[in-house]
Amino acid sequence: MRQALILVALAFLPGIGQAIYFRDKVSWKLPVSASEMVTVVQARAWGENAIWIDARPDEEFARDHVPGALSLNEDRWNELLPQFLAVWSPEKKIVVYCSSQSCNASREVAHRLRNQAQPPMQNVFVLEGGWEEWLKSRQ
Amino acid sequence: MAQVATVKFLWRIVDLIVGGVFICTGAIKAFDPIRFASDIDNYKILPWAIAVGLAFYLPWLEIFCGIALILRRFYLGGLSILAGLISVFVIATVAAKVRGLDITCGCFGHASKKWNFSTHLGLDLVLFGLVIFLLFAWGRNFSASQR
Repeated sequence: MRQALILVALAFLPGIGQAIYFRDKVSWKLPVSASEMVTVVQARAWGENAIWIDARPDEEFARDHVPGALSLNEDRWNELLPQFLAVWSPEKKIVVYCSSQSCNASREVAHRLRNQAQPPMQNVFVLEGGWEEWLKSRQ
Repeated sequence: MAQVATVKFLWRIVDLIVGGVFICTGAIKAFDPIRFASDIDNYKILPWAIAVGLAFYLPWLEIFCGIALILRRFYLGGLSILAGLISVFVIATVAAKVRGLDITCGCFGHASKKWNFSTHLGLDLVLFGLVIFLLFAWGRNFSASQR
């Protein structure tokens, strides 16, 4: 018991150090800040000014997707990114979605577009509720 | 006598394997805590702030426990914590599956996101079995040394 407590206490030290190091890189309040989320209604209102990105796996994209959406997932990032870059322009808003509210792929693709794409992109939004919410809005 | 030596050798090998696995998976997660926080958040069990706190803390706990196994310092403490952690991972993974959540497990770092549910669960259970074996081996060795 004493040994376990010592290990538990020891692990706090680097953990706290890392939390301080990352203090500006992560929000403790929201996984994605509210300004980076968009609802289906808002995104639809952008019309032609929005590029829809489907971050789900290829087979789910092939089954069905938001009309006009481009597939861009992490599995085939390098293959799919050029076709997205071909239609992208800085003034356009990018709406990324995955299967549901609980999925993570849209956040990751949005994160990569903002931080790793060349050039890094602004105006990248994650669709609240993802594909499930889109389907509900169609009914 | 030879059998005892074989068991002790096997025990040491399992120590190194389990310790090494937890050092590696801890390091992968510690390297990218924000992604690990997202992985924890995917389970929809904990508030985001706690997921972030755990993402900074848990990888280091795994690393320290792995080192404890390899160096055989704080050995029983390390084993007990790892047994507890794996149990929590298994329960959370099964609960997420039952609730129909589309998750990346996070148990083996973000690198494991392409693994399916069965692979995650299988690996967790294998690790759990190895940790139980180590606890059993330690218990037997401790009893023998008391005689």
